[in-house]
Amino acid sequence: MDFFKTIPLHMDFEGQHRAEKLSRIIITVFGLVGLVWGYIIQQFSQTVYILAAGFLLTSILTIPPWPMYRKKPLKWQPARDIDSNSKDSNKGKKKK
Amino acid sequence: MHSVLQRGNSILAYTLSFLAFLTFCCFVSTVFLNYSTGTNLKAVKVLVKNVPDYSASREKNDLGFLTFDLKSDLSSLFNWNVKQLFLYLTAEYKTPNNELNQVVLWDKIILRGENAVLDFKNMNTKYYFWDDGNGLKGNKNITLTLSWNIIPNAGLLPNIFGSGSHSFQFPIEYTTSRM
Repeated sequence: MDFFKTIPLHMDFEGQHRAEKLSRIIITVFGLVGLVWGYIIQQFSQTVYILAAGFLLTSILTIPPWPMYRKKPLKWQPARDIDSNSKDSNKGKKKK
Repeated sequence: MHSVLQRGNSILAYTLSFLAFLTFCCFVSTVFLNYSTGTNLKAVKVLVKNVPDYSASREKNDLGFLTFDLKSDLSSLFNWNVKQLFLYLTAEYKTPNNELNQVVLWDKIILRGENAVLDFKNMNTKYYFWDDGNGLKGNKNITLTLSWNIIPNAGLLPNIFGSGSHSFQFPIEYTTSRM
């Protein structure tokens, strides 16, 4: 079980933004190319297949949290000592 | 977008929305096309009988028999938004009882990719040509028309009447011998 816990599953905020943008671009481009190609050969099924290919590519590229989506992790403040003032530590948490 | 499931959900939802948009584009690209074309129809052998209609009133009604020739090239009707054609042949006529009678005599389904160049000689009708009385004997103006439904991938289900009808008349005598 410990091995599974070491697999990183999260993206940082920048990474989430990039993943969403990338997925929209890939699906849109594949869909439009599929529409043009399907119109040329007059087969709407080809349009659907090309869109499905775009969906698969997007799934591979943006669903797993690849390292390129974890380049800008949040810089957390260093943890305070438990002994210090409790009011200050609350303020610090809110800022995050 | 922060978990694997959320990203999967978001991508799938966007893909399906985009598929709906593409389907709409497909519909728009064909909605203004003209699906009419010429047909060449001819009634060959025509006779009329007076027999009891057991499926209805058991009274003696007129039953028409005919064979027809049909020649038409429908391959121009197919495009990426047409899955199949439903062809049907109707006879239209007027009787003293009814201003307008329409009887479907024959039909055929043509899937896309099948042979759409029709050339039938001396075809029998598929369905009985019953009149609800004695309106067929000696009727001088029976009009055969080939019509079709376009069954699309997405969009409207237009009903098109082929240009090129054929009119014929029934004999003035009943045929009594067995066919």
